[in-house]
Amino acid sequence: MSEQVLTSAAAERGPLAMEAISVSKDFRIGRGEILHAVRDVSFNLYRGAVVALVGESGSGKSTAARLLAGQERLTSGTIRLDGKPAKVSNRRDFRRYKSEVQLVFQDPFASLNPVHTVRYHLERPVKLHQKAANVSQEVVALLEQVRLTPAKHFLPKYPHELSGGQRQRVSFARALAARPRVLLADEPVSMLDVSIRLEMLSLLDDLRQRFRLAMLYITHDIASARYFADEILVMYAGQIVERGPAEELTQHPAHPYTQLLVASAPDPDNLGSALRGSARRARGSQAARGSLKAESAAKQGCPFSFRCPFADDRCRRDDPALIQLSPTRAAACWRLDIAAPEVLSGLPGGGGATTS
Amino acid sequence: MSADRATPRETRRAIDRATHRAVRTASDPAASPSTGPGPDPVLDIRDLSVVYRTPAGDVRAVDRVNLALGAGEVVGLAGESGSGKSTLVYGACRLLRAPALVTQGSVTYRGRRVQQPAELLKMRPDELQRLRWREIAIVFQSAMNALNPVLRVRDQLLDVIHAHLKMPRSEARERAGSLLDLVGIPRSRLRSYPHELSGGMRQRVMIAMALATEPEIVIMDEPTTALDVVVQRDILAQIVELKERLGFSILFITHDLSLLLELADRIAVMYAGQLLEVGTADEIHHEPSHPYTKGLLNSFPSLRGPRRELAGIPGSPPDLHNPSPGCPFVPRCAHATDACTEVDMLLLPVATSGDPEHVTACPFVLPDAPAPRAAAAGTPASGASGPGELRTAGELGS
Repeated sequence: MSEQVLTSAAAERGPLAMEAISVSKDFRIGRGEILHAVRDVSFNLYRGAVVALVGESGSGKSTAARLLAGQERLTSGTIRLDGKPAKVSNRRDFRRYKSEVQLVFQDPFASLNPVHTVRYHLERPVKLHQKAANVSQEVVALLEQVRLTPAKHFLPKYPHELSGGQRQRVSFARALAARPRVLLADEPVSMLDVSIRLEMLSLLDDLRQRFRLAMLYITHDIASARYFADEILVMYAGQIVERGPAEELTQHPAHPYTQLLVASAPDPDNLGSALRGSARRARGSQAARGSLKAESAAKQGCPFSFRCPFADDRCRRDDPALIQLSPTRAAACWRLDIAAPEVLSGLPGGGGATTS
Repeated sequence: MSADRATPRETRRAIDRATHRAVRTASDPAASPSTGPGPDPVLDIRDLSVVYRTPAGDVRAVDRVNLALGAGEVVGLAGESGSGKSTLVYGACRLLRAPALVTQGSVTYRGRRVQQPAELLKMRPDELQRLRWREIAIVFQSAMNALNPVLRVRDQLLDVIHAHLKMPRSEARERAGSLLDLVGIPRSRLRSYPHELSGGMRQRVMIAMALATEPEIVIMDEPTTALDVVVQRDILAQIVELKERLGFSILFITHDLSLLLELADRIAVMYAGQLLEVGTADEIHHEPSHPYTKGLLNSFPSLRGPRRELAGIPGSPPDLHNPSPGCPFVPRCAHATDACTEVDMLLLPVATSGDPEHVTACPFVLPDAPAPRAAAAGTPASGASGPGELRTAGELGS
């Protein structure tokens, strides 16, 4: 992947908090087979800014989050926190790292312990990470920060007594209890009702501003990333295939995979031509559906080539690197001139971008 | 997502022939959306109430709901978790057990294969057994839990076939294979266990299972909730395609109104056990009348069009233990007045709508009344941004 430093769209937001530099993770999946879950992924998280990692299930986005959280050993690459390489090798280092970097999980039904109260869930991290604090005061403050008020009412409750949204608020509070600088949110709203999602995202947004959190927002819903994130990274088969400012990327997707994601999002405004009653759609889906065996297809060439309508021999032979399209945008595709001519022509200096 | 290549058309035809059913929609691919269920709906739920008996008193999970499903129609039932949407449908199919109790109402089924209208709530167990799955099949929410983890896909499909159809073994095996063809899964997967399949494939197996008996009605309870958007889109497209080919009716339960706007012919919005608004997808989208519908419409971020302020719906659903009189949405409603808690809300035609089937439970807010935010973001103007590249993307994703 390109050596040049990618200027993040979020750069002006605040100081650099975390850097992932050419991070890779391989899993052995028996019989000498290796799954490249994350390959050569680089990005920066800035204080007070949100970077969204968007991709379908199995694209490696959750593995990337676990790597950043220090819960998975890197196969290669470096993660830096405040300019210093992250150390998680022993318990003490790991704990210190954890008090800076916290992870919020997708499923609030599974990530809270059913036999413990809300109070227990929050007291533990407060005691662990904030030695001198007045614990019960701090716990109440945490609940108020995630708008679970009155706090007294919620402290003695068990997870099963809470709604999905309330549970997820508790897990936000638990993550904040360590007073982290970096919050990694792994699909924080996808298990919740659509009507609640928005409220939860605005809560996260509020927390980001209040604590100047550097946030990684992992999702498969590119529409929510448009609203919530400053920069979007699109991940496919462990690689970043496109990156750019949220609004620009969603409105003018360059990579064919991003275009597929954008087209797959529910689009109520597109009533006539959409799902309802068009045989054309059903036939076309055969082409795009392909197989999800990303790992097997990715052995050679562009990992998306076998699903891509624009793929040619070169795509099936060589894996494209991220090509810088503008100071803030990049895409890994050989055929951008066919796939997204308007993106190339619309960007300054886009003419020569097809060669890297 | 499956590893299927183009499904053999012959097998599809074979399935159609086997049931002596003409490919009804071959001549009419558009499957014109009707404004109402028609005079003789396949499923007619009338005045249905379901309570959960608890020590603390009855919880009115479904409160006097009327809903009809026309032949070949897709009706969407939208609501938040706990709104009673699943209870309504399961109650109508008599799938609930204690402490749930159907306290009143009637559910009439009129299928092409039954002689006269059948009253589900009065059926004997053996009659019910014949009706279930043969006439009304269900795609359950989480395929992960609904499939038996220790049985191969083939055995689970055969189970359904043997339980509901009289068929020699060899024919049943062939049918299991052709069902997988139908949903675009390679036949080699018959030998797979559920854990060997991706989430999308599992959901397809569930759909295949529901279609095994050529049912008249397929109830889909959040069939795509656990899936990511690309797979979801794919499965929905497949459901629509199958529906057009096989001519069943769909009752689609989901919390995601944006899906229904694209998929359904008619949409019923449910809240706290009551229907608050019923109308065609178009009416719900462009002329929502109830404040709750407007709130739902404004809760999902849109990819197209200009970025707009999203408001969502503040607050949380009411406690059904102690329902307050009047409209259940009052505590969360921006337009609520004192009058809202005094009158019982009835579904009445929307005054400004030309369609008498477009009904709302809120008599106070008209579609064009200034809502807290612009609910009808689907005006032609919003479709204007960047149509060029989205069109290519549309081709891609279809």
